[in-house]
Amino acid sequence: MGKRKKCKLRDIMEDVGIEIDGQVESDSESEEDEVKDKRSKKQTRREIVRANRLERKKSQKNKEENESKEEENCPQQSRASRRKNHRMKRNDGKKGGGERDKKASSKDEKESENKEKKTNMKGKEEENKQKKGRKNSASSNSSNSSDEESLSEEELAMLMEEVEQKKKLISTMRNKPWRMMKKLSVLREAQAFVEKFEGALGKGKGKKLYAYKMMMAKKWVKFKRDFDNFKTQCIPWEMKIKEVESHFGSSVASYFIFLRWMYGVNLVLFGLIFGLVIIPEVLMGMPYGSMPRKTVPRAEQATAMDFSVLWDFEGYIKYSALFYGYYNNQRTIGWLKYRLPMAYFMVGISVFGYSLMVVIRSMARNANESTADGDDDNFVFSWKMFTSWDYLIGNPETADNKFASITTSFKESIVDEQESNKDENIHLRRFLRVLANVLIICCLCGSGYLIYFVVKRSQTFSKMQNAGWYERNEVEIVMSLLGMFCPPLFETIATLENYHPRIGLKWQLGRIFALFLGNLYTFLLALMDDVNEKLAEEDVVKNITRWTLFGHYNSSMENSTATPAPLDPADVPRGPCWETTVGIEIVRLTVSDILVTFVTILVGDFIRACFVRFMNYCWCWDLEAGFPSYAEFDISGNVLGLVFNQGMIWMGSFYAPGLVGINVLRLLTSMYFQCWAVMSSNVPHARVFKASKSNNFYMGLLLLILFLSLLPVAYTIMSLPPSFDCGPFSGKKRMYDVIQETIELDFPLFVAKIFGYVANPGLIIPAILLMVLAIYYLNAVSEAYQRANAELKKKMQLQREEEKNKRNNKASTNSMMQDLEDLLAPSTKSESSPKQAEDKKKDSPNQASPVGKQEKAEVLNSSPIAAGRRAAFIPPPHVLVTRPLTPGTWAPYPQPRQPWPGGRPMGPFPGRGRGQPRYIHPV
Amino acid sequence: MRKSKRSRRRRASPTVRSLACTVASPASTKAKMALLDLFIRTCCILALLSREDFQRIPELAINPLGDRIINAFFSEGEDQVNFRGFMRTLAHFRPIEDNEKSKDQNGPEPLNSRSNKLHFAFRLYDLDKDDKISRDELLQVLRMMVGVNISDEQLGSIADRTIQEADQDGDCAISFAEFVKVLEKVDVEQKMSIRFLH
Repeated sequence: MGKRKKCKLRDIMEDVGIEIDGQVESDSESEEDEVKDKRSKKQTRREIVRANRLERKKSQKNKEENESKEEENCPQQSRASRRKNHRMKRNDGKKGGGERDKKASSKDEKESENKEKKTNMKGKEEENKQKKGRKNSASSNSSNSSDEESLSEEELAMLMEEVEQKKKLISTMRNKPWRMMKKLSVLREAQAFVEKFEGALGKGKGKKLYAYKMMMAKKWVKFKRDFDNFKTQCIPWEMKIKEVESHFGSSVASYFIFLRWMYGVNLVLFGLIFGLVIIPEVLMGMPYGSMPRKTVPRAEQATAMDFSVLWDFEGYIKYSALFYGYYNNQRTIGWLKYRLPMAYFMVGISVFGYSLMVVIRSMARNANESTADGDDDNFVFSWKMFTSWDYLIGNPETADNKFASITTSFKESIVDEQESNKDENIHLRRFLRVLANVLIICCLCGSGYLIYFVVKRSQTFSKMQNAGWYERNEVEIVMSLLGMFCPPLFETIATLENYHPRIGLKWQLGRIFALFLGNLYTFLLALMDDVNEKLAEEDVVKNITRWTLFGHYNSSMENSTATPAPLDPADVPRGPCWETTVGIEIVRLTVSDILVTFVTILVGDFIRACFVRFMNYCWCWDLEAGFPSYAEFDISGNVLGLVFNQGMIWMGSFYAPGLVGINVLRLLTSMYFQCWAVMSSNVPHARVFKASKSNNFYMGLLLLILFLSLLPVAYTIMSLPPSFDCGPFSGKKRMYDVIQETIELDFPLFVAKIFGYVANPGLIIPAILLMVLAIYYLNAVSEAYQRANAELKKKMQLQREEEKNKRNNKASTNSMMQDLEDLLAPSTKSESSPKQAEDKKKDSPNQASPVGKQEKAEVLNSSPIAAGRRAAFIPPPHVLVTRPLTPGTWAPYPQPRQPWPGGRPMGPFPGRGRGQPRYIHPV
Repeated sequence: MRKSKRSRRRRASPTVRSLACTVASPASTKAKMALLDLFIRTCCILALLSREDFQRIPELAINPLGDRIINAFFSEGEDQVNFRGFMRTLAHFRPIEDNEKSKDQNGPEPLNSRSNKLHFAFRLYDLDKDDKISRDELLQVLRMMVGVNISDEQLGSIADRTIQEADQDGDCAISFAEFVKVLEKVDVEQKMSIRFLH
């Protein structure tokens, strides 16, 4: 029985297997066919008849060979092979008869049916013969016409018909049950024919056009595919990040993705500032040395080129276009009449505007994405198990990466799984969490107070003349000590909380962020002190400068009657220019931050890794497993470093336009450097966890820092007077006056008027109110949607659970039934299997599809053995007793369960036959 | 006899490789046709492919499930496959075309239909061919995919979890219907297709 089935299957496979032969060959043409595929059944029929004739000739030749081959393949199945030949003939007949009659070739008929069909088929063959005659004449016609050069109308029409036929043949070739050889030859012939006469259809010119069109269509498809590949290749560092991800998990990769995103944003800012501010100034502004603000003062000139001076961003660098002070307050520069001060101001604003927009937009998009595909978490493990391997991988290195990534992803899922299965004392956990938060808040308050205290002390120290080294550097020392010891402390406390590492990372990030805010606070405080001092100094210098210039001109007037030689710009006494000071301060901080980061990576990761790796051979204990071990990648520290660094950039870019350039370089190098460091000297976390799909938390931090850095800049722009002798706004009372000036001088009068109205508080306050209301409304709406969404999700989950439970219940009752049956009638067992098979045979044509059958089988009986038994005999009274327990199980599948009580076929290899096209396909 | 068999094999194997290359590389259509022609001539008449021939294809050699894929080409108890058998297996991976979906409404299900593709995949996991993927079979696959990096205990829990997710009738194994259900949302038509000539 099993053998027979197998052979049958083989036949089927053979039949369909030939299909692809045709497909492989004809695929190149199939596109063309689609373009001009107008069906007329008559033509197909004729064509097929001809093909049939050819085939019959060949098949006779091949028959013996074929049979012998078959026997060689499955020697004991001569019966089957004979049957197969029968079938092939039958199929041929049917195909010849017209449309591919799928019903007839479906593989599940019984023998009786076969006979019936055979008689049918004979009748059809008769028909074929009649048609063949007609067809012969047609083909001879075509051969005649192909010989002649000029075509008459009639011939043309005929030719067209022929070509259509051939095309149809090519497109339907794969469905024909012919021998391979024959298929090939027919196909080749048809293709040659079509190729030759295709163009003739369009008269003369159409040929080329058609060929061209086809070529372009093919090229276009190919181009699109190539372009898609190209696009993915163009994503910068995609490969690097994927590699890191495969070894370290998505959480570490999320840092690198964030870094890449930051790099993109910074590139845009860089383009904005360099293109609109620095390059115009360098090209069209007054050259270096032409005026005091663009010249190194006489006193500093001797050391202006020293490296130590340049390293502090003094000397020539201070008086370059990298800093605010270099820019002139000339209203327009160059032959373009470029309004540089205006541009400077607008770029400063648009840097913030663009950053805000981009951060918020990406947050919104992430939020969208995370809600879009949130419902597919039903089959996490199954999907990982069945679909994770990429079958196209042929490169050993890639395969290694893939192995690593599969392992990592499994680990991630395990962590998630453990988290959801955790069951412990909820009160204890709550208590621990509260305790941990209290502890951490205490730590934060303590360090906040410490910082405040130290800053206060440093202000008194700075007034003292002979303060020691410690007194001068107290703030920095305290800050760095805090930065060094607090994060590990927080981490230790956080273990109390026992959060999932993903949530734990967020908490950790938030806490360290709060700590670092203290850092920022001291920095800003020191800076404000500096600025106030400089402002006071400036008032004094202003007078001195005026008097110096006055004195110079007076003296020169007295000495000579000629026009006075202008004072050398290097000699002019000048103000402290607080804007440049702020800029330099921030640039210094950024650069030192870069260095510290890189050195930390080099020493803390690389040297340590080298030490552990190579000293392990000659050490008392196991270094790799024991104390120093390898470093883990510090996600929270790195992310926060990046975020704070970006805050510095935003804060400083107004006063030091070159800062963004430095930052771009930094991000670029740190991308490569950190990727290398991670891959070479870090080990994956003990609990690799999956990053949340949207890294909105990082974005949230970034938004916060952006807002914080916007505040001081806005404050200085709005309320401090610009220096009198440096920068694009010198000589104005406030920096924003430049806008008013532009409006008044460059625009028509009514624009100024409108601007005046718009700036009126009476208009602004209602506008803000309106916006607030809109925000409130939209927020309410989105909340409602979210609630509805959550509700629906819950419902779906419940439904699923319910279904599962039902089935499980039923399974248990089934086993009960089975036990009862075992007790009752052990003898029926032997009977069951063949009977069942018969049943199946009888009923299988009724089945809708393999899948449908499967499901039905599932519902009817969960275990095939039980099913077999039940099929064998009518349920005894005991079973009737048990039945009322399971009425619910039938409910979801209301099909009549009667005519087919049997289970699956019980052949030796039932799996082989399943899913094969033995059944009539319903769709 | 034995010698002749070997020589056959030697003749066949470069062709197999080149066919694999054809599948992988975007060469011109004509070249592929020629290759295929060559393949047909050599294989169809003379040659049979053996397992070693398949193992020389790098994609299969690396693949953790490679052996099983190769097994899928061989019918029961045979260690060689002829061209027809080869194509029969490959037919599972023929892309489904749009016009095909609508046209063959009541014919037999083609080998490249969704459920047949899925069934091919299913058989890769169903080692003992009992139409069920049992826990042990899952564990074997897992060991091949992740190696020794995860402890046995965890592997066991992964397998349990997988079955728990997919299993609907409570028999602690994954049947084909359940397998189909699991992969319901996976674009199998697209993913389990090899585009030969494009």
